[in-house]
Amino acid sequence: MKSILNLIIAIPTLLLSTSCDGQIKNAKTVTVKIDGNCEMCEKTIESAANQKNVVSLDWNKDTKQATISYDDSKTNPDEILKRVALAGYDNEKFLAPDEAYAGLPGCCKYDRNRKKSEIEKTITATTDTTAIEQSVVANQFKSIFDSYFELKNALVKTDTKTAGLKAVDLSSQLNKVDMSKLDNSQHEVWMKVYKDLIAESELIATAKNIEDQRIQFMDMSENMYKLLKVAKLATPVYYQHCPMYNDGKGANWLSMENAVKNPYYGSQMMSCGKTIETIK
Amino acid sequence: MNYLKYIIFGIATILCNHLFAQKIVRYDLFVRDTLVNFAGKEKKAYSVNGQIPMPELHFTEGDTAEIYIHNELHTETSIHWHGLILPNEQDGVPYLTTAPIKAGTTHIYKFPLVQNGTYWYHSHTKLQEQVGMYGAFIIHKKEKQELPEYTMVLSDWTNMKPFEVHRRLHNANDWSAIKKAKIQKGAAQSYADAITDKSLGIKLMNEWKRMLAMDVSDVYYDKFLTNGKVEDEAAQFKARDKIRLRIINGSSSTYFWLKYAGGKINVVASDGMDVEPVEVDRLIIAVAEIYDVVVTIPSDSTAFEFLATSEDRIRNTSLWLGSGIKQLASPLEPLKYFEGMKMMNGMIKMDGNLDDMGMNMSLQQMDMNVVMYPEITGRKNDKKTKEHDHSQMENQYNSNALSDIVTLNYSMLKSPTKTKLPDAPTKILNFTLTGNMNRYVWSINNKTVSETDKIMIKKGENVRIILYNNSMMRHPMHLHGHFFRIVNGHGDYSPLKNVLDIMPMETDTIEFAATESGDWFFHCHILYHMMSGMGRIFSYEDSPPNPQLPDPKKALKKLYRDDKEFHFMFENDFASNGNDGEMMYMNTRWKFQTEWRLGYMDKHGYESEAHFGRYFGKMQWLFPYVGFDWRYRKTHSDEIEKNIFGQYNTKALRSALCFGVQYTLPFMIVADGRIDSDGKLRLQLMREDIPLSKRLRMSLMYNSDFEYMGGLKYILSKKIALSAHYDSDMGLGGGFTFTY
Repeated sequence: MKSILNLIIAIPTLLLSTSCDGQIKNAKTVTVKIDGNCEMCEKTIESAANQKNVVSLDWNKDTKQATISYDDSKTNPDEILKRVALAGYDNEKFLAPDEAYAGLPGCCKYDRNRKKSEIEKTITATTDTTAIEQSVVANQFKSIFDSYFELKNALVKTDTKTAGLKAVDLSSQLNKVDMSKLDNSQHEVWMKVYKDLIAESELIATAKNIEDQRIQFMDMSENMYKLLKVAKLATPVYYQHCPMYNDGKGANWLSMENAVKNPYYGSQMMSCGKTIETIK
Repeated sequence: MNYLKYIIFGIATILCNHLFAQKIVRYDLFVRDTLVNFAGKEKKAYSVNGQIPMPELHFTEGDTAEIYIHNELHTETSIHWHGLILPNEQDGVPYLTTAPIKAGTTHIYKFPLVQNGTYWYHSHTKLQEQVGMYGAFIIHKKEKQELPEYTMVLSDWTNMKPFEVHRRLHNANDWSAIKKAKIQKGAAQSYADAITDKSLGIKLMNEWKRMLAMDVSDVYYDKFLTNGKVEDEAAQFKARDKIRLRIINGSSSTYFWLKYAGGKINVVASDGMDVEPVEVDRLIIAVAEIYDVVVTIPSDSTAFEFLATSEDRIRNTSLWLGSGIKQLASPLEPLKYFEGMKMMNGMIKMDGNLDDMGMNMSLQQMDMNVVMYPEITGRKNDKKTKEHDHSQMENQYNSNALSDIVTLNYSMLKSPTKTKLPDAPTKILNFTLTGNMNRYVWSINNKTVSETDKIMIKKGENVRIILYNNSMMRHPMHLHGHFFRIVNGHGDYSPLKNVLDIMPMETDTIEFAATESGDWFFHCHILYHMMSGMGRIFSYEDSPPNPQLPDPKKALKKLYRDDKEFHFMFENDFASNGNDGEMMYMNTRWKFQTEWRLGYMDKHGYESEAHFGRYFGKMQWLFPYVGFDWRYRKTHSDEIEKNIFGQYNTKALRSALCFGVQYTLPFMIVADGRIDSDGKLRLQLMREDIPLSKRLRMSLMYNSDFEYMGGLKYILSKKIALSAHYDSDMGLGGGFTFTY
């Protein structure tokens, strides 16, 4: 009796499974891990992988496991996983290009645990404690400047969305600064500019269009310039000037590169402007 | 006294021997027929010592190379040492500098190596380079290199025989565009594609200006290869390693974009010569060009992709540096073809010449193609694209000003040492690169190699060439046996190269000191352009006779034969109402063409027309011809037809000689006016192969005998198409067309 029952269950299951797999010839199945977060990820991953009658991929957002059925005579798991990575998702075999990962919507930005951190190009070993302390201070400001440069690059690209996100980063970096670790001159400057800087970064973060962001960025750059004078960064920074912006009154900004890339006009007048001071 | 003499002589000999202690490095290369499977099918190819690419040859500066070529093919071959400074008869251009290596024979090359760097070697015979005869030739510096190295030989592979590729290019056959469109939508640039893209106006203007679909590369390739593989791996490298990659573009007609997933690319040498290191995000490598770059592996247990993408962005090949999980480089997005067409519409004048609108383009700085690159000018309908309409003219095509991606161009190359030419009289030459895409004629100053004399130069003088590219494609111009300096604003430190990529509308100046003797080839290194005659021969005055070419005149005739070659084309429509066909046999200037319409019944008639004529002008729009016409048709009750000019014609039976002239009008409508030996005039307008959609072509014809024809063709494969047409003589018919 029991065996008959088993049979009854088995037949439809068998039918079902054959009707599903029937489309893919020479089918082979493998399970692999693909990183990702949410349902949106699932959609992107599956549509990147799937090919009618050749590949069918099913990804589970909780286990991060993907079951891939594919036509062994036409493709292989490497090809499929490469497409998934090109869509922005790291997996066992491939790491997504940085551009592809950066292009994912916010909710899909999974933690990139598979990606090995870059080995620091210069590891400076110092035994002098004051030097270490100073470098901590420098580091405090360094991350602020790093965020500022990223914001500037977004404005160069006329990318309102990224600029907004970078402004959020900047404001959180500004809030992190530990004032007790600043020396006198730094403290003095910091007290003058930090409120303005936080206000400006918040205005950029909430601005709806690029014009509003650029106006705030003009004021912010003046404050950053003052801060830079006392920051003692390791690398030179270029203070640059565009004579046209702000109704011909001109505006300045800071850049890591000597080559001019104008954040006030972007590609409209990319190389308008010149370096007026190099701060080392 | 005598003793002293001997002693001095003896010491001198020892010293001499010591100073010139030459190490002879010998290689034996066996060239054989082979079968390979690069793209799903077994195809014939040539291998050397059983491998494709040919073996990587290593030497040290100061060595003497002794290379035995054993030709085990059933046909002759040759080897050219690309970029090497060597005696003229060792250069390896058959019939010009060196004896061809006949089937079954062995040829010995022997020459001292007076330079160092990355070079390559390849066959200079017919189209052999396309099917495997290319390899790396590396001359190490005398002092030890501090960096580990890896060589990357890039190449292109097609399952089609190179002879077929060449023949089809001359027939303006668009099968390769159809193949590309399979991978990338819109690559065929048909009217349907134009409508979908909302760019119909652009396509119409394009045809008005007598341009076929624009192409950044002519040939459809099934695979691109790195060291003979689609993906090559160099797993021996670890994190923090700096690697010197020697990149050789050994392909026959493909430019590659190079990118690295592990960060910046540091360019340290080009065409074998060191340059001041320059850091870039990407670079394009022209056909036959060489770049040495230094890249770093930034992290542990990861393999980083060094990606080479064909210029048309259809396919990639890559090299993985390091081992572990694979970090992909972001691929290049498809080209915006209609943006490119729009740009061409703006640049091309009604007479077919190009107009740079006063931009003085040179040295790859202004890349007109940036309008097609989504990563630089934004995806279609992006905000970014719109903004460029307001952009300043001077930056409109400057890739490095438009984005933060740094692309290498020739103005960034600087020699670390002075390259100033000796003070000497300078011979100045102006070369305008000319071409006709539709008939695939490529030339310099509208003349092919065989249509011009050698350019005589004197040893001791300087030669300056001012090149202007008036054709619609870029050309990698290569000079044999010399390095030229590219005049690029670095003055005494102008870089030395032997390949110059020149883009449409660019003007570049190159110059070299004439220090050799003999004959040296200067040509476009796109194999099919070279074989069509795009080149010149520089010949030193008073050169000694070349022992390898006992009869130089006869040899030169053999060389000239390459670009005079006739190409054959045949097409027949097997339709329900008759056969309709055409046959052509043509070369650079001359064409023999015969057309026929053969009904199945007498009343439908039999008709044939043969033409023989010559194309004139740079654009080859004018084609006067003489011909012969024969027709027979069984007509009802001696029906007599009258033409527009009031002349009568029985059509029943006629044979006549005719003289006529064809002219290609805007929209590529061919106007044909002729008069025959009976004094009858006929005017005809015809347009063939209008690309309605990817595979659908339409033809229309009308003439002053009130004959008309309309036809549709749906291309199924490279040889077969379904067809339907209506013809005023034969009525409605359908069938299939066979094209060879």
